[in-house]
Amino acid sequence: MMSRLPEPAGRLLDRSAPFEFRFEGARYRGFRGDTVASALAANGVAVFSRSFKYHRPRGLHSLAGLDANTLVTVDSAPNRFAERVPLAPGLEVAGQNYWGTLRHDRLAVLGALHRFLPAGFYYKAFYKPRWTWPLWARLIRRIAGLGAVDTGAAHGYFDKQYLFCDVLVVGAGAAGLAAAGQAAASGAEVLLVDENATPGGALLWGRADADGRRADEIRRALLEGIEGGAVRVMTETACLGCYADNWLPLLCGNRLFKLRAKALVVATGCHEQPLVFRNNDLPGVMLGSAAQRLIALYGVKPGHRAVVATVNDDGYGAALALLDAGVEVAALVDLRPAPPRSARADALAARRVPVHAGAALWEAVPGRTGPGVAGARIARIGEDGACAPGVDSFACDLVVVCGGYAPAAALLHQAGAALSYDQGSHMFGIERLPAHVFAAGAVTGAFALDAAVEEGRRAGWLAARDAGFEKGPEPAGASNRATAGWNIGWPIFPHLEGHAFVDFDEDLQVHDVERAIEEGYDHIELLKRFTTNGMGPSQGRHSALAATRLLARATARRVDETGATTVRPPVVPVTIGHLAGRSFEPVRYTAMHFRHLEAGAKMMPAGLWLRPEFYGERRRRAALIAEEARNVRENVGLIDVSTLGGLDVRGPDAAEFMNRMYTFAYLKQPVGRSRYVLMTDVAGVIVDDGVACRLHEAHFYVTATTSGVDSVYREMLWYNAQWRLRVDVTNVTAALAAVNIAGPNSRAVLETLCDDVDLSPEGFPYMGVREGHVAGSPALLLRVGFVGELGYEVHVPASRGEALWDALMEAGAEHGIRPFGVEAQRLLRLEKGHIIVGQDTDGLTTPHEADMAWAIAGKKPFYVGMRSVRMQAEKGLTRKLVGFEIADEGEGRPRECHLVIRDGTIVGRVTSVARSPNLNRTIGLAYVAPDQAEPGQRIAIKADGGRMVTATVVALPFFDPDGARQEA
Amino acid sequence: MTAPDASPRRSPLYRTLAALGALFEPLNGYAAARGCGRDVLDETAAARTLGLADLSPFPRTGFKGWNVAPWLAAQGAALGAESNRVWPQADGARIARLAPGEVLILGDRAGGGALVESLDAAWTMAAADGCFRVAREETHCWLLVTGARAEEMFAKLCAVDLRPASFAAGAVAQTNVARLNAIVIRGDLGPVPAFDLLADIASAVYLWEALIDAMAEYDGAPIGLAALRSLAQEGGAASG
Repeated sequence: MMSRLPEPAGRLLDRSAPFEFRFEGARYRGFRGDTVASALAANGVAVFSRSFKYHRPRGLHSLAGLDANTLVTVDSAPNRFAERVPLAPGLEVAGQNYWGTLRHDRLAVLGALHRFLPAGFYYKAFYKPRWTWPLWARLIRRIAGLGAVDTGAAHGYFDKQYLFCDVLVVGAGAAGLAAAGQAAASGAEVLLVDENATPGGALLWGRADADGRRADEIRRALLEGIEGGAVRVMTETACLGCYADNWLPLLCGNRLFKLRAKALVVATGCHEQPLVFRNNDLPGVMLGSAAQRLIALYGVKPGHRAVVATVNDDGYGAALALLDAGVEVAALVDLRPAPPRSARADALAARRVPVHAGAALWEAVPGRTGPGVAGARIARIGEDGACAPGVDSFACDLVVVCGGYAPAAALLHQAGAALSYDQGSHMFGIERLPAHVFAAGAVTGAFALDAAVEEGRRAGWLAARDAGFEKGPEPAGASNRATAGWNIGWPIFPHLEGHAFVDFDEDLQVHDVERAIEEGYDHIELLKRFTTNGMGPSQGRHSALAATRLLARATARRVDETGATTVRPPVVPVTIGHLAGRSFEPVRYTAMHFRHLEAGAKMMPAGLWLRPEFYGERRRRAALIAEEARNVRENVGLIDVSTLGGLDVRGPDAAEFMNRMYTFAYLKQPVGRSRYVLMTDVAGVIVDDGVACRLHEAHFYVTATTSGVDSVYREMLWYNAQWRLRVDVTNVTAALAAVNIAGPNSRAVLETLCDDVDLSPEGFPYMGVREGHVAGSPALLLRVGFVGELGYEVHVPASRGEALWDALMEAGAEHGIRPFGVEAQRLLRLEKGHIIVGQDTDGLTTPHEADMAWAIAGKKPFYVGMRSVRMQAEKGLTRKLVGFEIADEGEGRPRECHLVIRDGTIVGRVTSVARSPNLNRTIGLAYVAPDQAEPGQRIAIKADGGRMVTATVVALPFFDPDGARQEA
Repeated sequence: MTAPDASPRRSPLYRTLAALGALFEPLNGYAAARGCGRDVLDETAAARTLGLADLSPFPRTGFKGWNVAPWLAAQGAALGAESNRVWPQADGARIARLAPGEVLILGDRAGGGALVESLDAAWTMAAADGCFRVAREETHCWLLVTGARAEEMFAKLCAVDLRPASFAAGAVAQTNVARLNAIVIRGDLGPVPAFDLLADIASAVYLWEALIDAMAEYDGAPIGLAALRSLAQEGGAASG
């Protein structure tokens, strides 16, 4: 049972603020300043979760939030590092990946089968017979893995924010604090980020000297350099990666910051390494840095009796810290055959701790009744580097390991720096820093505290200068970096009975790695992928070095010859919520949007716009659409067409520009008239249509489809940039509100609101364009016939759209005007045989296929797509769009996209189909084989359920073939 | 007071403002929100911290084309060569030069638009060859974001660093705000940071809601014209 130590231990705790929380249903107490991990440790909870593959009990190991050992579920959010979750009142925490209870996991039996489940075993099993794989996959997914997603959990609020600074310093240890202070002193705007709750890094907990005072003195001095607002400090913030031009994502709480820094200083320190020996994953085995963090930061006594194993002098510091915390140190095992003298070694000797030099941990002995450690067995290291026969046993509940260091160089690697292994120091180092990136401290191998500070100052000065802030002389570099002496070449001691883990996340043991190499996966990248070493949450921070050493030895190479795997962002795991952030989905409303809602419209998306599908209750949809359509045919209807694209093409060359952009002819189009426009791309494919209104010799107002106008506008700008005509194109879609008032009574309604335009058939004929006023608003009026009735499109400034709508509805009341939606309009235009680009055309439809050769001006010298259209016409058609009606309704009614079949072969598809209440039959448009296109031909359509429906090709339009109604 | 749905011209945000309890006054054919449902002192305080006002009823216009600069000069407008900055005018209007061949012209801070009106009146297709009027009152809504926290709030929606060191008074950014194309202009109200924000008028409701959401953590609030006048009376002459 662990307990809290008196102050000054536990420097992060606010002991006046106790909290209650729950873990696995049991109540525990902690303090403000605790993390979930420290609070559990303080309450004697040893097992946090179960391991990925063998379901072994796992607990605190690094206390750095790196490996899967401490992944827990917090308030339904799975896979949270317990060390990274600040304790809060009422937290509900649970362990992960067990079947039964965390303490008694039925799947722990898998640990006994580890010999039969080597790395990559699933590549070689479960695939015969083939049909069994889905069954195995489900089972494996259930028993292997991490936390479970609670799909019923409440949505969190995640968002993103941009940040800017001159110099970003990542890591607030000795080097980082020094760099930030120096850069700020140069006048740069400095941001300092650190994953931990308090700046200081190892200065907060590391026993850097014999009496444990030096680190704190340095920390206090460095903190003075960043105080007073000179440096913005963001704690509990992770820098996820380093992208081009110093684009740096920062993770803080529920927010992802997107930072752009002129210069970057990486002072991320290093990761202490585990030792590899039997049962090195047991709860109660932890890194020296973890034990010291527990004591100094959280006031937790990590055990009662410890064995400390080390490859460097820091192990002596850890042992001193344990002694000061009241932990008995049964033995210090130093893997070095002849440890050099040091102040900390002398201090430990003075406290009569037996030191076993040239020895190694042979195994940690599990307890008989609980999941923790009951003892440790050590053995002498022979001349061959392996453990020699004969072991000494120690009873203990804590095994502290100091296995050396690996630089926390992920950001530097991503930025473009190279990692290289130094055979002298047995450590990876950094080479070739890219421009605008600097590094300092232990990540560069400067382990001496003074050296880290000196290097930090220099890096801060250089970064500030790089960002444009040079002040004072360049600080000198560190004189004594103390790079060597922290690692040894071979800290791996496999046991015949296994369970010597290289990678805790993936449950990889020494023999897994060795077997994979034997099988031929003898390149570091292949080895990583086959074994999944380093592919868990810790991303190889504790396993890559050991795997590289194993590979080097197995292939008789040096470690520097095996290389290192690629480090990719993100540096720490990121939730989907962070990546998604707050979603921004723009939506566009027409000026009359709320009038539609008030009238009971059911809205449907049209690009970014919302348009009324129909008005009224959804259960009466079909009847309402039919009523709306009938009212247009028999009376007068009003539809909001503001979403249709609107483009002003203006300038002396406007007509020439139109002539090149569209298939029809526009040079001689009279002012005051509109003309159909059909746009093809360079491949001769129909991409848009609309009408062009000539308002002035040098001004065309062109409409485009709702979803097509943005690309039409882009195309116009693109071509105009090449042609260099004297033309300006402006997208005025949103600037104009527009309605189509259609039906036999439309003229009568409009006449009550418009007194400066002659609305008579002679004064304002079909396809005419007029400018005047409607309901007091300046308006552009177009006589159009999309729905096949007498009708006027009225375009007014958007700010006046709602007033126009109100006036028309009021003026039309006595005529029984009613609004109609997109569905009724689709039906009405279908009756007239008008196509909708995108519905009745696809990504390959040519004008001739769509029977729109009439819209091509054959004699003009050029339009976009002309060459392709001509080639297609000469080559002949493979399909043609025709109108059809259903001869026998009893066979059923096809739907859009149902296939037209002939002799068992697909020859086309239905593009539009509807039951016409006006015609009292089902009509539609479909692509058919060219020789089926003559009216009277019978076509077969494969409808729902595979039923074949016979339809008859008919001439278009279905309704009012002479156009008498629309031209009235 | 004016009923907003009785005005011939209507801001796309009038319902949003009315739902806040706004009182309206006539302006430029619109009903403009004098207040947004709170006491003017409260809204003035919000304006200093983080306020959002709908200036869509305010006069504005624009011109595009290869002859924009000569034509404007002929009308007496003062326009410098540099793009992406504001050129202040004698009547309090501001001309934002968006490109060598494009300008956005904003009326004064009080809702007046003498220059806007005179330019619109002077322009015809025939008289201004190569200079084409664009009805910016209709294409773009106009919002004003004020207050000490405005830059921080914008950082949640916009990738441009809007702090004074990199975005000084009169600077213009043609950028993206909450995934909408937008024009942001710095025009501080004396000591109070202020940003004119112009974006697609059809997306005004969406943009307003996105801003209100982003402002929540800073206690930002909608403000009316009265609060802006109050700021101006405190000596906050426009500095952009």
